[in-house]
Amino acid sequence: MGLQLRQTFEAAILTQLHPRSQIDIYVQVLQADGGTYAACVNAATLAVLDAGIPMRDFVCACSAGFVDGTALADLSHVEEAAGGPQLALALLPASGQIALLEMDARLHEDHLERVLEAAARAARDVHTLLDRVVRQHVREASILLGD
Amino acid sequence: MAAGFKTVEPLEYYRRFLKKNCRADGRELGEFTTTTVNIGSVSTADGSALVKLGNTAVICGIKAEFAAPPPDAPDKGYVVPNVDLPPLCSSRFRSGPPGEEAQVASQFIADVIENSQIILKEDLCISPGKLAWVLYCDLICLDYDGNILDACTFALLAALKNVQLPEVTINEETALAEANLKKKRYLNIRTHPVATSFAVFDDTLLIVDPTGEEEHLATGTLTVVMDEEGKLCCLHKPGGSGLTGAKLQDCLSRAVTRHKEVKKLMDEVIKSMKAK
Repeated sequence: MGLQLRQTFEAAILTQLHPRSQIDIYVQVLQADGGTYAACVNAATLAVLDAGIPMRDFVCACSAGFVDGTALADLSHVEEAAGGPQLALALLPASGQIALLEMDARLHEDHLERVLEAAARAARDVHTLLDRVVRQHVREASILLGD
Repeated sequence: MAAGFKTVEPLEYYRRFLKKNCRADGRELGEFTTTTVNIGSVSTADGSALVKLGNTAVICGIKAEFAAPPPDAPDKGYVVPNVDLPPLCSSRFRSGPPGEEAQVASQFIADVIENSQIILKEDLCISPGKLAWVLYCDLICLDYDGNILDACTFALLAALKNVQLPEVTINEETALAEANLKKKRYLNIRTHPVATSFAVFDDTLLIVDPTGEEEHLATGTLTVVMDEEGKLCCLHKPGGSGLTGAKLQDCLSRAVTRHKEVKKLMDEVIKSMKAK
């Protein structure tokens, strides 16, 4: 998962603005109930923004699966353990570009569109939330600084 | 200007405050920072607690598993603590195997559990010689700003009070253990050890609950673990400047008051949880 996180953030962080530097991102999972990769990406996005490191866009992630003909977004541990196809998607919401997409187990290509759409929609919902929280935080911080 | 002075001469900066009997963050010499505790937040663990002492944050998660009891003590279970100081809590730690400070903290917690007899290992036995509980206590520091031992001890105590173990019966025919998840019981917590840490400045001045910077500038540290009957469970003084008997007595009395403060806080939290 460390490698996946690295690949995801290499696509989003503007590393050319920090030459000859190393950016370490440490993630600690306190409680796991499915969608661990997605939670790590969302948390790391906020942490990188909090650190003031410039990024191309937010990176919002969500998992999705396919059970009984229905596409499900944000799988819990029980749903993941059931063994159906699962997809992890990390999205750059403004441009709609996919930073990382990983899928395991077999899924018919006809269904891929729906599962991908479910994950993308959920990721965009996460983006709305993260955006609101970040703006609120910046507003409060600038009030404290007296700007 | 004060920030510049602090960077160039940190020890002098702190000394200026100590001369007036107070500290850089506005506290008195014997005053603790705000203590916050949140019990039972990790629902996937059998017991958990998050403790914040000022900026220092430690989370404790306890998992109970089955194990065979040790051959030399067939009626006892195990309590296995582990303190993890990951790089995310402070830039002084690197990723990789546990560093010196994490190992010392883990051993300290193991000593506190052993010496204070917080739970009887016999209570963890299910079937003598065959099956016992092992409690894995994982303490992870989320934010390091000094006084890690106090935070870990409190987090461990609060998490143990939160642990509920299912009733286990051993099926006579299959000789397999069956855990009844519907019937759970709390652990029997016999004592409530509370740690109080001090830092020694310039071989003479003692301050309670040091921050990360104060620990770094201190010439010595001392941690006292007391339980409710005023019994001393553990005294941890890893080298550093010497202390007179009188100073040590002062520390012990401060530790007794701290115990009352912590016990009151924990009782309030547990009462509010049970009320839900």
